[in-house]
Amino acid sequence: MKLPAFLNLRRLEGRIVCLFLGLLLVVQLASFALIRNSIESNANRSIAAELKTGERVFRRLLTQEAAKRSDAAVLLAQDYGFKQAIGLPVAETGTVETIQDALANQGERIGASVVAYFDTELKLVAATRDDAPRFLDLLKNRVAQGDKPAAADDVQLSLLDGRAYQVVAVQVRTPAPVGWILMGFLLDSAALQDLRNLSELQGVVVVRDGGSAGWTPLVSSLEVGEERRLAEQIPAGQALFPADVAGEQWRGRLAPLEQGENYRLGVVLLRSFDAAIAPYRSLQLILLALTVLGVVVFAALSVLLARRISRPIKALGEAANRLGQGDYDTPIVRDSADEVGDLAEHFEAMRQGIRKQTEKAERLAYWDKLTGLPNRSQLQDKLEKQVAAGGSFALLMLGLERFKRVNEVLGHTFGDELLEGVRDRLQKFGATEGRLLARVGVEEFALLLTGADAQAAMALAEDILQDFEIPLHIGSHKVDLRTGAGIGVALHPLHGADVLQLLSRGELAMQTAKKRNCDSLVYSSQLDDSSQESLSLRSELRQAIDGNELRLYLQPKVDLRNGRIISAEALVRWQHPERGLEAPYKFIPFAERTGFIRELTQWVVAEAARAWRMAADQGVYLPLSVNLSTQDLMDKELPEKIIALTEKHRLDQNALCLEITESAIMEDAQHALGTLQRLKDARFKLSIDDFGTGQSSLAYLRDLPVDELKIDMSFVRDMELKHKQPNRRIIRSTIELAHNLRLRVVAEGIENAESWQLLASYGCDEGQGYFIGKPMPHEQFVAWLQTWQVPELGDYPADTTIAELN
Amino acid sequence: MSAMKSWWMGFSLLCSVAAAQAVPWAVQVKNAAGQPLVDAVVAVEVRGRAAKASGAKAEMGQRERQFTPQLLVVQTGTSVSFPNFDTVRHHVYSFSPIKVFETKLYTGTPAEPVVFEKPGVAALGCNIHDRMTSHIIVVDTALFARTDAAGIARLDLPVGEHQLKAWHISRKTPTLQSQALTVTAASGQSAVSLSE
Repeated sequence: MKLPAFLNLRRLEGRIVCLFLGLLLVVQLASFALIRNSIESNANRSIAAELKTGERVFRRLLTQEAAKRSDAAVLLAQDYGFKQAIGLPVAETGTVETIQDALANQGERIGASVVAYFDTELKLVAATRDDAPRFLDLLKNRVAQGDKPAAADDVQLSLLDGRAYQVVAVQVRTPAPVGWILMGFLLDSAALQDLRNLSELQGVVVVRDGGSAGWTPLVSSLEVGEERRLAEQIPAGQALFPADVAGEQWRGRLAPLEQGENYRLGVVLLRSFDAAIAPYRSLQLILLALTVLGVVVFAALSVLLARRISRPIKALGEAANRLGQGDYDTPIVRDSADEVGDLAEHFEAMRQGIRKQTEKAERLAYWDKLTGLPNRSQLQDKLEKQVAAGGSFALLMLGLERFKRVNEVLGHTFGDELLEGVRDRLQKFGATEGRLLARVGVEEFALLLTGADAQAAMALAEDILQDFEIPLHIGSHKVDLRTGAGIGVALHPLHGADVLQLLSRGELAMQTAKKRNCDSLVYSSQLDDSSQESLSLRSELRQAIDGNELRLYLQPKVDLRNGRIISAEALVRWQHPERGLEAPYKFIPFAERTGFIRELTQWVVAEAARAWRMAADQGVYLPLSVNLSTQDLMDKELPEKIIALTEKHRLDQNALCLEITESAIMEDAQHALGTLQRLKDARFKLSIDDFGTGQSSLAYLRDLPVDELKIDMSFVRDMELKHKQPNRRIIRSTIELAHNLRLRVVAEGIENAESWQLLASYGCDEGQGYFIGKPMPHEQFVAWLQTWQVPELGDYPADTTIAELN
Repeated sequence: MSAMKSWWMGFSLLCSVAAAQAVPWAVQVKNAAGQPLVDAVVAVEVRGRAAKASGAKAEMGQRERQFTPQLLVVQTGTSVSFPNFDTVRHHVYSFSPIKVFETKLYTGTPAEPVVFEKPGVAALGCNIHDRMTSHIIVVDTALFARTDAAGIARLDLPVGEHQLKAWHISRKTPTLQSQALTVTAASGQSAVSLSE
């Protein structure tokens, strides 16, 4: 279940809400506890005060009672009739009875439990009860006080046989003192009832045996039975104590009703605690309600506040998301003055920065620097979009022929101007809506025609070529564009839905058109090596590697100065089970087109390493050259793969020389340079193969990390013939320039002694060709080496040749 | 000190009247704690002398709601009258065993005086006014006196063996304390320690 953000503690909103509510709750709980505490302590204090007052009231009630009873006794003592009765001779019959009756009469009037008359010697004369002598001790206490009036707070209570009596004694005078009247009143609950009527206090008079702890109730204003339970709850001391009476909370306090430490008679006064705090209870309820209300309001407010805080942050998060998804166009609006607003502003600055950078990067990535036209990548993107949209389109691939030559002959600046001129010509055709002109290769342009069919495409191709009939003027030069130019057309969806395939098919059509000199051509499957055929060739190649049908051949290279074999070039041959031994040109171009070349190269490097190791084990340490193709240079992991192989076969440094064709480098110079540099860093020797066939100049070589130059065999072949003099010049100057760049020079295609001598005289370092040795299975190479002898070179006059050159 | 002086004066007087068969005699009355008692009654019963007086009269008046005097010593047989000098009425009574009587609500002097025939102490009160009290001490002799501020009573006594009686208001029992007294030719003194 997904929680809303304000309940999720891992979200900012939730934390803010939780913090606020937590704080509020803590404060509310604390104040609630404080209030509750102070209510209770207040209640306890006021109860304590009430109980003290109650105690005073209770004492006053008792002393008033005592005074009333004392007055009654005094009245009896002063009654003349009573005096007359006392004055009768005691011995006389009836005297005691008379006195007894008088006492009983008065006692009934005031409700005394016992009334007795003692003479001055404290001898009992008459009493209303037979057990009156037991009161003698109480009387003696009173007599000892003399005629002094009782103390104001003396409740005049005495204990007798576990019962409490209020005892008053009065001296009888006639007028001389003749005796004492004692009146005893059994303590009842009247005073406690009065107290209860006057206040809200209950009371229990309790008694205990001298000094012992347990109290026993005597009289009480409580419900019957409760007083006994209460008596059990009385603690030692006179502090306020909580008591449970009839299920209610009460507070009680024990007050002594006798003098002295070990009083045996006391009264517990009680006040209902529940009743005392009842008024506060409703107050607390109101407070509780307020708290709940406060929490609700606070919760709502804090959710709102948290939203206010988190909403802009969320909005920023969404903006950052948009940036992450590549939308740099939606501006980020600052909508507050606070820190989040600042952040929004920074985000906006970042967006603009990224946008600028992206535009710049796009320009670099999607535009051709020289012509300012879209490059191959942009074209690909656009094609992808069109394919995705499902629209039909025609792709025109235009290939020029003259550019390489112009570049070579007239220089790069001139070449650049030529390209710009071509661009201007083509722009006429590409500037229409739904069309896109791009430069896709060194001398290749492409034109996208949205919605066009084969007919329309061919018509446009015709127009373009028509236009190319007019030569281009650059400075004083006239450049013929038409010769060698070709246009290939590929159609979507007719020729496939894969953009790369469409491009290569267009290219194929263009190349074919150029080869056949048929101006323009629409792609057809016949142009391919035929799909079926290429498929089978591919599987056959796979089989060739897996089935061990490939053979490594080595062609020796000789030091032209002393005739020593100093290295060899590794070449691959295919021992086809049906077709027999196949030359590389039969399958290498196909492998290059299909990318299978990488596996092939991989095999050659591994095999060469193995061959080197075998030869080295026989004491022959000859460096071997291996050819790398364009596709290989695209493989970023190539250096690591080669290094791994050299390590596997424990190759010496410089055991491998890697040969790269000039055109391979030019195809994707950026990638190629990176790979070359890494190979160079790994200490491999690098060589430019087939030099002279590409469009690069020697100056360009300066920037390449290569060690060696191989002059293409087309220059070397037949160079000894008179009519090939220009070739000699090229070779000679190339060798000189290469030496100036500190490159070794290797000549390919030496087929006779004359070529050898010529090349040697030009200072060429190494030579390779049938005259020295044909490629041979590597197993035979060591044996061949042992039979090698420097051939008889004859006496070709080198200096004559040089003279001819000049 | 002044008591000592008078004692010496008394002593010289006693010597001079020895021939008249009576010697001055001082009796000091103290309580059990040794404090001299003022207004104690001292009476000496001389053997052979008449105990009873006949026709003797005495008066216990009531003035301003008080008995006056508050202490009256009479010989047995004396008739005491109770004249009322107040305008309010009094109800004089005695429940003392030597003489129980009451004279109800009268003004002026009652016609019949009360004759005290028995020796002893009679406590008198008024039923109207509780605070009115007085004592009449009845003795069987004409020789009696009251102690002064020093607790000394002075009597002219014949030489011989006599019975000394003493009373003070502080006594709880309504009786006189009795003790033997020997009077020598020369003047002398006796001490009485009166019990409560």
